[in-house]
Amino acid sequence: MRMIIDGRVVTAEKGRTILEVARENGFDIPSLCYHAGVESWGGCRLCLVEISKTSRPDRSELVVSCIYEAEDGLSIKTASPKVIEARRDVLEMLMARAPESAVVRELGYKYGIIETAYVKRENADKCIMCGICTRVCEVMGPAAITLAGRGGERVVTPPYGEAEDCIGCLACAQSCPTGAIEFSETPDERSIWGRTFKRMRCKLCNAPMLPKEQVNFVANKSGLSPLYFEVCDSCRKKQSAKTFARLVS
Amino acid sequence: MRKRLIVTPERCVNCRSCEVACSFTHAGEANKPAVTRIRVYTFSEERNVPVTCLQCEEAACMTVCPTGALSRNPETLAVDYNEEKCIRCKSCVYACPFGNCHFDAAYLHIAKCDLCGGDPACARFCPSGALVFDTQPPKGEINREDAPKIRMKFTLPVP
Repeated sequence: MRMIIDGRVVTAEKGRTILEVARENGFDIPSLCYHAGVESWGGCRLCLVEISKTSRPDRSELVVSCIYEAEDGLSIKTASPKVIEARRDVLEMLMARAPESAVVRELGYKYGIIETAYVKRENADKCIMCGICTRVCEVMGPAAITLAGRGGERVVTPPYGEAEDCIGCLACAQSCPTGAIEFSETPDERSIWGRTFKRMRCKLCNAPMLPKEQVNFVANKSGLSPLYFEVCDSCRKKQSAKTFARLVS
Repeated sequence: MRKRLIVTPERCVNCRSCEVACSFTHAGEANKPAVTRIRVYTFSEERNVPVTCLQCEEAACMTVCPTGALSRNPETLAVDYNEEKCIRCKSCVYACPFGNCHFDAAYLHIAKCDLCGGDPACARFCPSGALVFDTQPPKGEINREDAPKIRMKFTLPVP
């Protein structure tokens, strides 16, 4: 099927979203809550675009492009005055929500917002409630963190504050667009969500690897033996080389 | 028949052009050993083994990947890495039984052979035929005594 994005005709497959198609064709649509590895949920509202259908070309509406599926004959504007205004509104609110976040601030500057008109949240962290972390944790498997509370009280937290199911993979922290999740990683330990995980060591070279909890979880989920995870990648590579050398001589 | 990356360790002369070609193709830098997806291990003058991803049929890295960031490319049959889908859990790094997935701390992503999308640079730059991208392994013996000469081709003259 074909769509028109900012006056250019693009082809799209069924089931793809406007955001994916537009980005593949080089259009710049900002987003914070979109992550290709997890299901989109239209949380941050930054990827708003203006669409009009062939049946009603005189009428246009704003839709969230990360969850709006491509349709034949759709005409899309990614940066019309209406879109820019809506994005500015969203950014002003985000800047009040997370004034410490450099990513949000820079996006704001890009849209000409130096200072938000809203009252800034007190003692604010960098979290913008985009939910990438909770969705990442869900797709990883443990679903150890969740969004809890309502309105201004909404927080990302393990259920009842205890990260029992956390496996210490740090995927949530590393996928966070604003770097809001605090964690630490040393050769011995990983700390996140109030828990500390001891890291396993390579059997051969003693290099630090994944925590035991993650290994057990991943092995269990994928059906691979935990023995797969006992040696680090560079020792494995050396072992492979040795085996191949033996095989050819 | 489909083209494959055929590694013939007997022919390898340890010139390491493949490593340079690989890191240049994937990172635009030739002197970054950390980003190369192929590595030559040397055991003696005549026993050099280039090791790179085997693109396993039942790939452990693909099995453990929770988001589908590692998936089979239907054209090249390589296990391709999609950086955007990756959540950096690093499960694949330790799941690979051959150690051919590694985490690149400089670029914060997984470094893994993708056969350069169907024209591997390592094979293009391999002077001795140890790495070829073809349906058949190269024919003819390589003369071991020529190895230093071939290597010299890749050594810059000292000013």
